[in-house]
Amino acid sequence: MNPKSHPLNRRTFLRGSGVALALPWLETFAASSRAKDATPKRFLSVYHPDGVGLPLKSDPAGRDWSWFPRGGEKDFELTKVLDVLEPLRSDITIYSGLSHPAARNVHGHSNADQYLTGAPVGGSGPYQNTISLDQVYAEHAGDFTRHSSLVMSTNGGVGGPRGAQTQSFNREGRPIPAMNKPKQIFDLLFVTSGKDAAARLARSKSALDLLIANTRSLGRQLSKHDQQTLSQYLDAVRDTELKLEKAQKWLTTPVPVVDTRNLHLDAEPKEARLYFQTMYELIYLAFLSDSTRVATFQLGRENGEGPHDLLSMAVGLGSAHGLTHAVKNPGGWKNLGTYNRYQAEEFGRFAQKLKDTPEPNGSGSMLDNTLAMHGSASSSFHLSRNYPIISAGGRNLGFTNGRYLKFGKGNEDNQAGAGIVSDAGWTGKMEVEELPLAKLFVTILQRLGVESDAFGGETGTLTRV
Amino acid sequence: MTRFFSFLPQSCLASAGAVLLALGGGWTTQTASGQEAAVSLDAAREQGRVKSRFLKDEPEVAKGAGVIPKANVAVFQKAVGPMLKKSCIACHGPEKAKGRLRLDQLNPDLLHGPDAERWREVFNALSKSEMPPEDEPDYALAAADRGTMVDWLSAELNAASVVRRSSQEHSSFRRLTNYEYNYALQDILGLPFPLADKLPPETTSPDGFNNSSDLLQMSAMQFDTYRELGLKALKRATVSGERPQAVTYIISMQEEMAKAVAKEADKKARDAEKAAKAAKAAAEKVAKAATGKVAKVPAKDAKTDEPKKNTQRSKNMPQLVQRKTGERMDFAEGEEQPRAEAAVGQTPAPSPVVLELPRGRELKLDLDRFLPDEGTMRVRIRAGRSSMKPDEYASLRLIFSAHTSNNANFSQVVSARDMPVTAPADKPEFIEFDIPLGDIQRNPFRQLTTTFPRRNEFLHLQNVSNAGGGEDALHVVIDHIEISAPFYEQWPPQTHTAIFFASKNKGDEQTYGREVLNRFLKRVWRRPVKAAEVDQFMSLYAKYRPGFATFEEAMVEVLATALSTPEFLYLTQRVADAKTKSPKQISALELASRLSVFLWSSIPDDELLKVAQQGKLREPEVLNAQVKRMLADPRARRFSQNFVEQWLGLDRMSSVTHVTDSTLKAAMVEEPRAFFEEVLGQNRSIMDFIHSDYAVVNERLANLYRIPKVFGPQFRKVPVTPQTNRGGLLTSAVIMTMNSDGKDSHPLKRGVWMMKRILDDPPPPPPPNVPQVDLTNPEILKMTVKERIADHRNNAACNSCHSKIDPWGIAFENYDALGAFRTQIKDKPVDATSELFNHQTLAGIDGLKRYLFADRQDQFAQAMVHKLMTYALGRPLSFADSADLDRMTAQLRREGDGLGDLIRIIVSSDLFNSP
Repeated sequence: MNPKSHPLNRRTFLRGSGVALALPWLETFAASSRAKDATPKRFLSVYHPDGVGLPLKSDPAGRDWSWFPRGGEKDFELTKVLDVLEPLRSDITIYSGLSHPAARNVHGHSNADQYLTGAPVGGSGPYQNTISLDQVYAEHAGDFTRHSSLVMSTNGGVGGPRGAQTQSFNREGRPIPAMNKPKQIFDLLFVTSGKDAAARLARSKSALDLLIANTRSLGRQLSKHDQQTLSQYLDAVRDTELKLEKAQKWLTTPVPVVDTRNLHLDAEPKEARLYFQTMYELIYLAFLSDSTRVATFQLGRENGEGPHDLLSMAVGLGSAHGLTHAVKNPGGWKNLGTYNRYQAEEFGRFAQKLKDTPEPNGSGSMLDNTLAMHGSASSSFHLSRNYPIISAGGRNLGFTNGRYLKFGKGNEDNQAGAGIVSDAGWTGKMEVEELPLAKLFVTILQRLGVESDAFGGETGTLTRV
Repeated sequence: MTRFFSFLPQSCLASAGAVLLALGGGWTTQTASGQEAAVSLDAAREQGRVKSRFLKDEPEVAKGAGVIPKANVAVFQKAVGPMLKKSCIACHGPEKAKGRLRLDQLNPDLLHGPDAERWREVFNALSKSEMPPEDEPDYALAAADRGTMVDWLSAELNAASVVRRSSQEHSSFRRLTNYEYNYALQDILGLPFPLADKLPPETTSPDGFNNSSDLLQMSAMQFDTYRELGLKALKRATVSGERPQAVTYIISMQEEMAKAVAKEADKKARDAEKAAKAAKAAAEKVAKAATGKVAKVPAKDAKTDEPKKNTQRSKNMPQLVQRKTGERMDFAEGEEQPRAEAAVGQTPAPSPVVLELPRGRELKLDLDRFLPDEGTMRVRIRAGRSSMKPDEYASLRLIFSAHTSNNANFSQVVSARDMPVTAPADKPEFIEFDIPLGDIQRNPFRQLTTTFPRRNEFLHLQNVSNAGGGEDALHVVIDHIEISAPFYEQWPPQTHTAIFFASKNKGDEQTYGREVLNRFLKRVWRRPVKAAEVDQFMSLYAKYRPGFATFEEAMVEVLATALSTPEFLYLTQRVADAKTKSPKQISALELASRLSVFLWSSIPDDELLKVAQQGKLREPEVLNAQVKRMLADPRARRFSQNFVEQWLGLDRMSSVTHVTDSTLKAAMVEEPRAFFEEVLGQNRSIMDFIHSDYAVVNERLANLYRIPKVFGPQFRKVPVTPQTNRGGLLTSAVIMTMNSDGKDSHPLKRGVWMMKRILDDPPPPPPPNVPQVDLTNPEILKMTVKERIADHRNNAACNSCHSKIDPWGIAFENYDALGAFRTQIKDKPVDATSELFNHQTLAGIDGLKRYLFADRQDQFAQAMVHKLMTYALGRPLSFADSADLDRMTAQLRREGDGLGDLIRIIVSSDLFNSP
């Protein structure tokens, strides 16, 4: 009955019990594999709404202000939008030709909801989402740390259906509220939590004691066969006990002490650079102190207004959403490109910091053990295709960087522009075939150590990654 | 001894033919004996029944259960063995081993050997005359020999089943399914709504059932969720403090009319101002244009001066109508504001102004942002019908929505069902809806202090109707609307006083606490509670009490723990001590739980428990009375719902995307349940599932089936003619639709469905690496679906299985991907004729039904008993159960196949009473 005595690995257990891989977390196994995960594997996804600028090849701005690089897999040349990442060239990979099939016909204004889930949330009517990539990994890695994941956005909360302000969705497809106040995030991570939690914990422990006694007394009145069945219940209670013990342990474990010199906890989005850098710094500190291994960060919300706009206004541009529609104005592509460049710059600053920090409990740099993604779920004009995606780091996880990876069929000549060659193309019928982004997600999950071969209804990994 | 595989006596066929000719029946078919005979479905049903092996004087079902029988190997060695050698071993022996069956290696001791399951397959093939194949004359089996083999197998199989009963492998000890748990919580606490479904999804057994004991797992996640839901449910059922102030909106149509008039006047004023400005600007332009050219004043501007005529308003939009004058105004959009001190539940005088809501239209009420987060929203609408045409109906549906920003919107139907509007317009009646605000999708921005994203929430009243058009078209006429939340019938609500009831000991926390716990635990555990058990919970209470302000708050936490105990979550079957084997019978209290989980998908009520506790539940009259009472209770709907869904595999509809009309989709899924209820309620024959001279449909389905004169959304029994090509469950739209590929019929899926769900003879799963049908091959693309299947079947690797599956599905070719009847596919006439593995020809759906009636009634009756029993016991049935099942099938057939009788046979059977 002692969970530690099961001579099973996760896979044989699943096979033996006749249940599908959809089973939720199996704490028993997670707990026993803790020892070998000494070096943390980390995952971050940063999302920015509204897509990027992709001027046509024929447009004068096409050469400089198209988000995607020019050239081939290794000899790619970054345009002015991403040239700030040139120093990190050997640590990043840029992807094109990827999108979620279920969202391709949905208006880009609703896209933040499904970037990490791939769910067919549709454009109107009843709403149902599915679990997001980060939460699948959090179910796996969440046991090792005080917080299973860190969910942040500039706007905070969950937003509305089809207007998400969080990137993270739980197993039931419900949004996980994002935090947006640096002070609040800092307190959660690095200030001891209150008395209430301790009282709740104590109550739970007494309840579990009663349940175990009650189960034992029932067990004595059952046949051998039925006792076996009931032992599953007892195991579940014991697993919950372990979880409470873990919570107890964290309650009594002092919170890590971190270097707060670079933190400006009262920064607000209108001081965009400071706010941005503070939020990234918090992720950095959370990773460094191994308070969590999973984080998501959403910059603003689709379709603008609110703090998102403040970010772009702060760097002397118009409202962020407005920029994406004003590209045909004089200097329009350049303005949007400049804004995207600035997003990339802050992401690069964060990646550089991870690169400069040696892994506290392992080899290489922190960046080598972290996969940090940066992307959006639409290209130009909110077309829900050809997502602009960068990943940084992950060398120790098996990622080979310094590459521009192009996917899809029919878009070979104009990979950057989602295969579109004329203005009319943006609204016309799409003939280009793209690959499901979920395949990249499966690759990521496997490299993070999650045994999985499917995500969001797509099976298999993305080759060449 | 009789031989049930034998064919009908000639005289019987002849007389049936004569009867049929007299009736003027129109079909001709090939009977199993190769004779031509005209047989109507009714006649086939009568004839087939006569053939039942269960109706013979001495059915081969085991007699004298309890006596341990012995294997009769002597007959095998003397007779059966040599016959097998002669007719079977060539294919099923060391040389070929077709179907991986080696008859020479099967142990002839069925009672103790390992091969009883395989012998049962041999028995099935022999008794259905599927083996030896007809096209192998060298191995033909004489009728007498076949009889000897089948008789021996039948006797041995039954004996083996009795023997194995004592070494049972499966148990009915299991946890409640997610839906049972949800219903039980609702029934215990008196909550009208299901709690949000957070439990991890269940695994479906190979039989298709979700309540199978060996698949109902427990995990820490599941356990955690029980704890969370139990506490949440209790907090919802109980209250503390003063009655909360309700937010109440009262929408008076007279006031709305005043608003609309003011708005229009305002608009007119603004338009006039605009027009004046434009005219002035134009005049200035004219004045400036010294060249003499006349600038045109836009005609549009000139028009705005004309007042809009009422008749110009779209009659198809919701409109306010002044009853006396007939004056009409569009309903003005705008935020409604809650009223202070509004009294709810009033019956105001008839309003001089009413709202006319045409068919399909919505009245969209902007409720701003004041609805509370939790609690019940009571919506009262006083409404009537503008016309009373009997063929037309109108009903109201509630939709809740928000539009937080551009493209970020949602809407959701929140009413559990459409409420019919039946009163005449001049005598309107109140219609009430209760909506759980904590469980529906809300606008997350409603509490913002800023105005963007938008905070408003909307309630739409939609008229769902089949009304025709014209001057006197049927509208819903509304004169008064009340919206109030949180709504309580009384304070404290009944859900609260059911737990914290009145008692003279209320002042003494210790005594009263024990009283509360005693009552609650008894209900939750379905048995009397011992004082020591209450003690355990009281000591938990003692630990909790200091952390809470009130007795109730602390007690709710304790009660939540009771809702996570195994005795609540599991269906128990106790033994005296763990070392003894299971007793012969479960206890009367356990029987009560099994009965209520079977018929109500929930725990017993007080009456059932009382009867069980008095030891009367096993008295046949008492048991029958309880079953009758339970089936008449609204909770019995859960039985028809859950059993039918699992039996027929209706959950497959959730992944069907080609039915875009949600009303049709809902009607499709509802039909089999309504049909089952009709058969059950009237104790009709289970053979009606195969074919009946009636259908149970509503208007939407009747349209699809081309059955005339069915009006309204409610399901009802209507007669059907042969020309309708309906009757029974097999051709219902949902079965045809979910067994299609989205564009066309899918005979393979339909065939597999027939074998699995109706015949209880599931085909083996496809082997790995079978060649797929190559749809890029132009030759194959040209073929009809039936031809493609035949082509696939010609492939040796596929033939052995497909020749058994495909014919069943091809017989359904007259039904398209939505289950509509067709006679042509792409200009070619439908070819729905197929030949079964045993060379029986099925001429379309009629042929199939006729064949089932003529030759497979026993098989279907057995399947039905098997399916219902699997569901009733919540465990897979095994070989050991087959003697009992046969006995029950025999009883069912003798009593005339009534579904109501079958339920009675099941609940009084030994199996249902055994652990």
